Amino acid sequence: MEPTIITKPNLEPELEIDPVAEKKAVRGGRKISPFASVQLSVFLMVLMAITVLLGAWCPQEGQVGQDKVFEAFNPEMAQWMIKLGISDIFHTPWFLALTAMMTLNMIVVSFQRVFPKIKTINEQLPFFGMREINRLPVHHLVSIADPDQKTAIMADLTSRLTRMGYKVEVEGHRLRAQSGKYGRLAASVTHVGLLSLLAGVSITSWTGFNGFKPVLMRESLDFKDASHAKLWVGKIPDWTARVQSTRRENYPSGEAKQWYSLLSVRDAKGKEITQGEISVNNPLSYDGVDIYQSSWGLDKLVVAFNGKERKFDLNSMGNRYAAMLPLTSDMILIMSLPTDGSEMRLFAKIPQVEQPRLLTTVAKGQTVDLGDVKFTFKEAIPITGLQYKCDPGLPVTYAAFFIIMAGVMLAAVPHRHVWASIENGGLYFGGASRKAKVGFEIALKDLAAKLGERK
Amino acid sequence: MSEIQMYLTNTAGISSMASFWAFVISGGLRPNADFRKTLLKIATFVMAVGFIALTLAIVARGIEAQRFPLSNLWESLLWFAWATMGGYLYIARAYGIQQLGWLASLTAATMFLYGSWLPQSQHEIQPLVPALVSYWRQIHVPPLIISYAMFFLAGLAGFINLFFCGRYVSLACSALAVILACTAIQLGTHSKTDAHILQALFVGATVFGPLASFLTFRIYSARRMADEKSQKLAAVYDDVGNRCVAIGFPLLTIGIITGGLWANHAWGSYWSWDPKESMALVTWLGYAAYIHLRIQQNLSQEKLSVVLIIGLLLTLLTYLGFNSLGFGGLHSYGQFK
Ligand code: HEM
Repeated sequence: MEPTIITKPNLEPELEIDPVAEKKAVRGGRKISPFASVQLSVFLMVLMAITVLLGAWCPQEGQVGQDKVFEAFNPEMAQWMIKLGISDIFHTPWFLALTAMMTLNMIVVSFQRVFPKIKTINEQLPFFGMREINRLPVHHLVSIADPDQKTAIMADLTSRLTRMGYKVEVEGHRLRAQSGKYGRLAASVTHVGLLSLLAGVSITSWTGFNGFKPVLMRESLDFKDASHAKLWVGKIPDWTARVQSTRRENYPSGEAKQWYSLLSVRDAKGKEITQGEISVNNPLSYDGVDIYQSSWGLDKLVVAFNGKERKFDLNSMGNRYAAMLPLTSDMILIMSLPTDGSEMRLFAKIPQVEQPRLLTTVAKGQTVDLGDVKFTFKEAIPITGLQYKCDPGLPVTYAAFFIIMAGVMLAAVPHRHVWASIENGGLYFGGASRKAKVGFEIALKDLAAKLGERK
Repeated sequence: MSEIQMYLTNTAGISSMASFWAFVISGGLRPNADFRKTLLKIATFVMAVGFIALTLAIVARGIEAQRFPLSNLWESLLWFAWATMGGYLYIARAYGIQQLGWLASLTAATMFLYGSWLPQSQHEIQPLVPALVSYWRQIHVPPLIISYAMFFLAGLAGFINLFFCGRYVSLACSALAVILACTAIQLGTHSKTDAHILQALFVGATVFGPLASFLTFRIYSARRMADEKSQKLAAVYDDVGNRCVAIGFPLLTIGIITGGLWANHAWGSYWSWDPKESMALVTWLGYAAYIHLRIQQNLSQEKLSVVLIIGLLLTLLTYLGFNSLGFGGLHSYGQFK
């Protein structure tokens, strides 16, 4: 029988939080502030999870509008959702307070407990002898029959541990090895990432803006109606982006394949600074503002009756656009256009007949005789939906994303120690691992078997 | 679906079913019987055959569709079953254990069955909607599905840990919760039951099942607790659960973040509180809580096991419950009603 473990040596104090000590420290209010409690953070995480869950469950007014709340629940219940703020939960004081508490908690814990441990990363634990080794959570004894074998068995253990990824040091008949020490940085790296994320999001919230504006061809996009947070120290640019031209590209079937807009960026005096064509997924960036192509349509139709110009609103009808003009009390003139606005079809519709009757087709710029009026198709003016945003915190946010991913991956790396010592005609070796303990036990058992086999 | 693809997928489905029965039967045999050992080996082998067949089926589907084969619910179920089987085979090898086998093969078989009941349109290869045509899809989705499978295995390990800790009543409460949650999803997918009733069923099971588990911890089998071998196995499954989370959590993190990068690339905003995004965040927070509870080190392993089972229910809600229980949003590729 192996000797029983009497006391557990405190091998990795830097990795363990003693709950009793924590309670005392919190109560005593000495070095560690009440905000440095991990219990508090778990509690906050659970509250946050429940809050976000409610936000996922109840349709959010900000995204889908209040109508959807009424669609999802009966009127009384919907009223309650709105009154309690559940239908706009990510803007409630509750959510903001929870975020603030978590941030505070994380900052305090990170600086008081997590970051200071980075300093200990290169600290070495001493070489252990038989007695200490026998008190380790995992330990084995391989007997050495022939004293001449001592050096060989140590060399064998060293090479096996090295192959298993350990950094091994030997001093006489003693050995110490560790692996995965950078795994200990997981918490620091992840928390730095999370704090950077908060910084990035805050920078954007305090200085960024965004918005959407449909702009007719030859008109300009400005940023006067941009929306931004209430607490805001940013600046709305005074330059504008004029839509020089905008068009739609189709699949052979007539479905939209892509929309393009040629934008001219002009300063406050109207002088062109730069130009660029945007399409979906391909924005224009200038002065920290990104302008995205987000929707497209034909909006206005310009025609002339006997040389007298008139403008109509166009409506989307499947793959075509159309405008209506009541001619008499029971006859409507329908002007129908394909998406490229090239050739117009003119129809007359009377209520008694289902199908409108095709009168004629008119190419852009042409004039036709309609009875005693001269009808000219001048042009169809497209409108382009432009989404814009200024997100000054984005580089910080992106950096945070990568730091967080690195941190959580590091957390899967177990930090392990192995010690060995040749004493009393045997090789005593053992070790400790805080994570993946069972895998570690199996690995050491394997090692013991292999070392035992050599004789 | 081509013949070869169907053949491979069916092989995988039948293998998961066959290995399930082999595991179950071997569970009923005397612990040291030679026949039991052989049967366990056969069960693992059959599972491995299924895993290889499924790998090939997924590759065949990708070749046939000329795109990355992960774009609808059916394909994601195949991936989920694949990751569950692969994850189990890895754990069984690394830890030299088998007790998880029947639960893992049951999970995979259930996913195949659920998938085969989906409408035919899900099985056919269909063109992608424009929003999904992006190389980001293959970066964003696989880590998520694999993380869900890992969280499932972690929850299953939690059940086995409860068993070896002799907490049979707690185990039954949590098991009932998972069964009710699965029933809610099944009804939501294949019947016209009112969504609010199903939501109540799911949430009720998630809240009251684990709560009952916590409250009944004091009832335990003294014989089990005194048995050294059971104690050892309990510790092993505690470690297995933790390991699965250690793999699943980074994958979930990567999945959520790459989703943000994709969204920002596509429409200029990396986070929009879309319901599915929010649900993934809830799951993420849940496992962050688990990680910190573990660091705290004053929670017993059976309590941590119940936390893993709560995690399993959250994962189930995020992955399947979400669409079938009538939450909405952008990520509705799983919707087909
Ligand atoms: C809300 C405030 C939070 C507090 C107060 C907090 C506190 C802590 C503490 C005290 C540790 C142990 C550090 C050590 O012993 O070296 C830790 C580790 C860690 N935390 Fe947090 N944390 C918070 C939020 C988060 C969140 C939201 C995440 C999300 C990913 C996270 C990820 C981690 C990771 C990955 C570790 C390392 C775990 C390991 O090594 O196994 N933390 N945290």
